[in-house]
Amino acid sequence: MTIKLMQGNEAIAQGAIAAGCRFYAGYPITPSTEVAEVMSRELPKVGGKFIQMEDEIASMAAIIGGRVGGLKSMTATSGPGFSLMQENLGYAAMAEIPCVIVNVQRLGPSTGQPTAASQGDVMQARWGTHGDHPIIALSPISVAQSFDLTVKAFNLSEKYRTPVILLTDEIIGHMREPIELPDFNSVEKFEQVVTESPETYKPYSNNGDVPPMAAFGRGYRYHITGLFHDEVGFPTQRLDEVEPWLERVNGKFERNADDILLYETDYQPGARTAVLSYGASARTARHAVKQMRARGEKVNLFTALTIWPFPETAVEALADSVERIIVPEMNLGQLALEVERMAGRRKVVRVNRANGEMVTPDMIIAAAEA
Amino acid sequence: MTEVEPVATQVQEKPVRKGPRGKVRIHATWCKGCTICVEFCPTNVLAMHPSGRHPIVVAEEKCTACHFCDTHCPDLAIVVRKLN
Amino acid sequence: MVDHILEAHHLTKQEAQIPPEDWFEANETLQKLRKHKKFPTIWCSGCGLGVVMGALIRAIDHLGLDNDQVALVAGIGCTARMPVYMDFNTLHTTHGRALAFATGLKIARPDMKVIAIMGDGDALAIGGNHFIHAARRNIGITALVVNNSIYGMTGGQYSPTTPVGMRATTAPYGNVEPPFPICDLAMAAGASYVARSTAFHALELDKYLSEAIANDGFSLVEAVSYCHTTYGRINKLGTAADMMRALKDTSIPKASYDKLSPEEQQANTKIVRGVLQRKNRPEYTQIYNLLVEQQTQREEIRPRNTGRR
Repeated sequence: MTIKLMQGNEAIAQGAIAAGCRFYAGYPITPSTEVAEVMSRELPKVGGKFIQMEDEIASMAAIIGGRVGGLKSMTATSGPGFSLMQENLGYAAMAEIPCVIVNVQRLGPSTGQPTAASQGDVMQARWGTHGDHPIIALSPISVAQSFDLTVKAFNLSEKYRTPVILLTDEIIGHMREPIELPDFNSVEKFEQVVTESPETYKPYSNNGDVPPMAAFGRGYRYHITGLFHDEVGFPTQRLDEVEPWLERVNGKFERNADDILLYETDYQPGARTAVLSYGASARTARHAVKQMRARGEKVNLFTALTIWPFPETAVEALADSVERIIVPEMNLGQLALEVERMAGRRKVVRVNRANGEMVTPDMIIAAAEA
Repeated sequence: MTEVEPVATQVQEKPVRKGPRGKVRIHATWCKGCTICVEFCPTNVLAMHPSGRHPIVVAEEKCTACHFCDTHCPDLAIVVRKLN
Repeated sequence: MVDHILEAHHLTKQEAQIPPEDWFEANETLQKLRKHKKFPTIWCSGCGLGVVMGALIRAIDHLGLDNDQVALVAGIGCTARMPVYMDFNTLHTTHGRALAFATGLKIARPDMKVIAIMGDGDALAIGGNHFIHAARRNIGITALVVNNSIYGMTGGQYSPTTPVGMRATTAPYGNVEPPFPICDLAMAAGASYVARSTAFHALELDKYLSEAIANDGFSLVEAVSYCHTTYGRINKLGTAADMMRALKDTSIPKASYDKLSPEEQQANTKIVRGVLQRKNRPEYTQIYNLLVEQQTQREEIRPRNTGRR
């Protein structure tokens, strides 16, 4: 066990390597470029491959191609690049290709303020690509957690054959904190195992939530497409083939919620106020709640690590036990919409800042007193 | 790969040697009736079925196994086997 | 369309889709098709794409490649529907991005033969950026661009290779945009093998595709074809057979082209068929893998599990 002072973006790269990522394709963009720089240096040391593609569209395409070739793959970007990646991200969801996309959020829209932090891409992470599709997004609140949630992102992407977004931000990405790096060989890595023979293998079998994916070039010569497809991957429009796919793919997360939905709760019995937050704002919330409790107030603290799918049941239960849920975010209210959907608008107090500055503890405390 | 004869592109009436040098088989269900094989066959072995939907062999003995038809059928619906 | 045939053969529709038992063994081309895929293909009657597919299969067969060793990557469009019919590893991606997907696949599996199959719009319009960068890197991918100078799948819009003055559904008064010379573009960007032929000269396509696939670096084969359904109809160019014949009449071999005087060459409007580029350039994944080997050896002695020391 080694303790190192490490930047959030580097912790993400190290976490990816620990999780078995052996291919990175990306494009430089502030504030995520350090992830690419570390990967370009560290991947070759473990026999992995790095490429800087011509744009983010190509980067997202390349990591899908890499995973189809058999390498766990990742890319990292920020708002503008994340927007460019949406179509191919949707392809990965449709073709069920595991991969990890890191979005180190910066102040948008458009060029915005490249070096300023934000949490303004929350809804884009859910609905950025067209059409109904499942997606997982995780948000770390520290450098150590950036490492852990990257490992979790890879394992969830493999276990559920889905793209997973690591929705971090410029603050967590650029800050340096001590981190205890584990022995990478002891880190749990989910590996898909194909047991069927090539003759009977169905890459998109509908019995069971997640049919294992065979990589190309290993005897399983099958078809992968972005079109609706049948169980062997051929394009289809037949309802008796489309509907089972819709049911399986769009339901595979709900049926495995407890494995996917990660959150931390720090509740005090009898508390009438709660603070629900994620990412950089969760650090502010922690501080504010500590101050409020120091003054004798009872406050529940809910930190969402899985942003999508939204932890509905847990938030619903929290809403039943308090009068108000304060939701601090570095945007004009995005995850708050989900909280309001579960708790009702009257119970939710939004604390928003979308100017590149962090929400401050005082802003949360003031909201609690209002 | 089978030794494929050069493409005979000039269309003129060749003197017929004894017996066909190729056996033509047509898979009518795959054929979409585009007529390319009929129009390009150098020795007019093929003609369209009265329905116009697919070709039929009308002069089997004239086939020189030049393979033009089966290398230019867009639907791989015709095959020529060289007879030796 | 086939009802009368079914009655003649006393076949049900489903039975008819499955060809006679020995059909697939009839020649090499048919053997590489996917037996459990529904035929005939979705392409229009007479479309040159089926001819190009036959040439590709014969080229792969000629090289004696194992089916598992071959991956076909396609974008979106009529041409992009080709891979699904063949018994290889096939990846049907998003419009214009075949070469970007293929780059990732080639890096993960440098031992595989990766072939990107695209139409002119797919490769040169939306895919143009990936086209020039794949050529610049000289990565081991063969780009087979079937050039029929139109967006066929979407009903006949002009494309980056539509000649000036020709009509399309989005160029009702004639196309004003000068077209890309695909092969020159690939050569300028760094492709190490570039050849052009047409759907009429199928056996030339067999040869060039074999050479292209055998080439380690980035190969381009431009297969000039036609779309009689949209481009041919709008511009009154006749049937599929007429447009197939036009490919013969409006093309010349490179050997004849080279004999022309500079003025004649300048005035030439015919399609020049032949190998236009054969350069020995290091292939991207081979070079990059050298770096990886160096790094992995140097790291032997240091414990690998603690990241940057």
